[in-house]
Amino acid sequence: MTFVNRILYGGGIVLDLTRWVVFASVLIVVVNTFWLTFFIVDGLSMEPNLHNRELVLLQKSAYRGDGLPQRGEVAVVRYPGDPEHKRYVKRVVGMPGEKVKISDGRVYINGTKLKELYIPATVITEPEGEWQIGTGQYFLMGDNRPNSNDSRYFGPVEKRFLVGKALAIMFPRTSTIETK
Amino acid sequence: MLGGIVTRSQNGGYFSFYKRKFLFFSLVFAVAGIIWWLSAPDYKADEAVGLLGQEGAKLEIPVAVTDGGLILIDGHAAKKRVDLLPDADEVRLPIVDEPGRSYDLVEITLSLPKTVAYESEYEVLPIHGTGAGTATVIDARTISYRVVDVGSKATISIVAKLPKGTVKPSLKQTLVNNISGIDVNVWVGLGVVLPTATIVISILLVFYQRRKQRIDQPDREITALPMALPPAIVGVLVHQTVRPREIAATLVDLAVRRDIIILDRERGFAFGKHKFDQRLLGYEKVLLSKIFNKSISSNRAEIEKRINSHFYSRKISVVSAGMYILATRLGYFKTNPQSIHAKYKLFGILSFFVGLAGFALSLLFFKDPPFIAFFWLGMMVTSLLVITVASHIPIRTPLGQEVLTNWLAFKKFLSNPAPIPYTPDVWRTFEEYLPYAIVFDCEAAWARRFYDHNFTIPGWYTTDKDGLDLEDFCLSLFPIISYVSRSLIALREPGFE
Repeated sequence: MTFVNRILYGGGIVLDLTRWVVFASVLIVVVNTFWLTFFIVDGLSMEPNLHNRELVLLQKSAYRGDGLPQRGEVAVVRYPGDPEHKRYVKRVVGMPGEKVKISDGRVYINGTKLKELYIPATVITEPEGEWQIGTGQYFLMGDNRPNSNDSRYFGPVEKRFLVGKALAIMFPRTSTIETK
Repeated sequence: MLGGIVTRSQNGGYFSFYKRKFLFFSLVFAVAGIIWWLSAPDYKADEAVGLLGQEGAKLEIPVAVTDGGLILIDGHAAKKRVDLLPDADEVRLPIVDEPGRSYDLVEITLSLPKTVAYESEYEVLPIHGTGAGTATVIDARTISYRVVDVGSKATISIVAKLPKGTVKPSLKQTLVNNISGIDVNVWVGLGVVLPTATIVISILLVFYQRRKQRIDQPDREITALPMALPPAIVGVLVHQTVRPREIAATLVDLAVRRDIIILDRERGFAFGKHKFDQRLLGYEKVLLSKIFNKSISSNRAEIEKRINSHFYSRKISVVSAGMYILATRLGYFKTNPQSIHAKYKLFGILSFFVGLAGFALSLLFFKDPPFIAFFWLGMMVTSLLVITVASHIPIRTPLGQEVLTNWLAFKKFLSNPAPIPYTPDVWRTFEEYLPYAIVFDCEAAWARRFYDHNFTIPGWYTTDKDGLDLEDFCLSLFPIISYVSRSLIALREPGFE
């Protein structure tokens, strides 16, 4: 009996189990690569909204094609200085074409003070500065303003570096992510 | 009727059997899900790093870009090459990453392969504990990046968007880049079109073959068996595959021939060996050995134990194979349906694994995201369609078609709604043709033809219920046979038809 015949006629359980394992693996890989995935928050720069070691659901398809980030959304972004290896989770604060100004501990968009209900009112945003956001660029900041490395230090980020939109915290608590 | 009814005592057993498979495969998915969870990457909620103590040194790092797009850092080739963007050739990589000590000044000098520095966009990205960074053009081939007060945890990346065509990439990089540049809709479209075209072509092929082998429904009825052919073989001739009904019909046929008896009791059913018949066909012997093993009776618990002790049963696979082989030897098929379908399956399985390999390689070589994977997914779905459709390709010989015509005329007789006139042999006729009615899916219609007559319980069927009429008999027998045959056929190895 040839190897092929053994597989076809005598490899019943192997074939069937392989089929199911392959099916499950391909399904998970496709979903994980193109649509939804999980990541673990590593660090404190998104406090008090995302805590260290929390498991978060990420929608990878959110910003693909015509999908555009909205202000207030929490996004995963490839660090523009090392896009292959470093991925950060930050909040979208400034949109393309806008002028972002940080002054007196607050954020101003085109001269208007930005309402940020997702961070405590007592939080001071520093350092002071002004950034003109280019076409197709976004200004991202961590919610923990005193302790976050973000666009204040590495500048606005092109859309191509955005990986996806954080949808919800899955573990150890379950919660949607505030965007306003 | 046989396919649909699973009542009282059989219900729990039927589902308990499938529960085992369901639980097993649920476990497979659960393990896959846990692996998914555990493999979730860490994404930094990156914190700011303040300026650290200075040690008064200066660090100079020469970086060069070659004609071919290689990036040399201090003379050593970096893993990363120049990125080929639609509108630029881009250098973007970290040069200093957590140096472990502090520097007053880090100066990176980027040498370009062509005199394009003045037409390029450039910036330096210093984070995690650094002072200010500046980038300036030194001459037409050189850009200088300077960062002061660099801490031990700092990361300094350089960016230079060079005019398109500054570097000449390798053939592999060009290929990967061109394929990556193809629109996602093209790949998704291919992933959909490929299986759709296959299913359309397959359906057309099956229709064409069936048209070529078209058997008109006969106008006439044949009121007796057209020929002495076991009911299971008739089922294979009609459907070209072995279904639970062929097993069920074989069990009833064995009972009618007094090889086995069926006992239906309040607490469950049982089978008993009635006599030793040397005229048993090979597949019938194997089927009986599966049910009885070496004992002369087998109750529900024992049958369930034999069914549940295996995920797959070689014996049941042999039963199916025996039916195919006999039908082929009788000249009804050009080739054994099992082997011809296996050939298509082999093609399908090979295509599936080629698709799977392509899928895995596309994830390896293409990034962000590898849309080409949809093409390979489409190929995998196509392969599965080929495997599925393979079982429906008709391959009867002219003799098979002619014999089938006669059997269809007999089916017309079985399913005729007119009552059968009473004769002393009326119940013998009912029993004799019942297995054939089962393979023709018309056992209910066949039984209805006898409702006007006083029912006599067959000698091969024993029950502890009183006053059983024909309807009660059918409602008791068919679920038992259905349960056993479906459970047995589910044990067939997937490699078998």
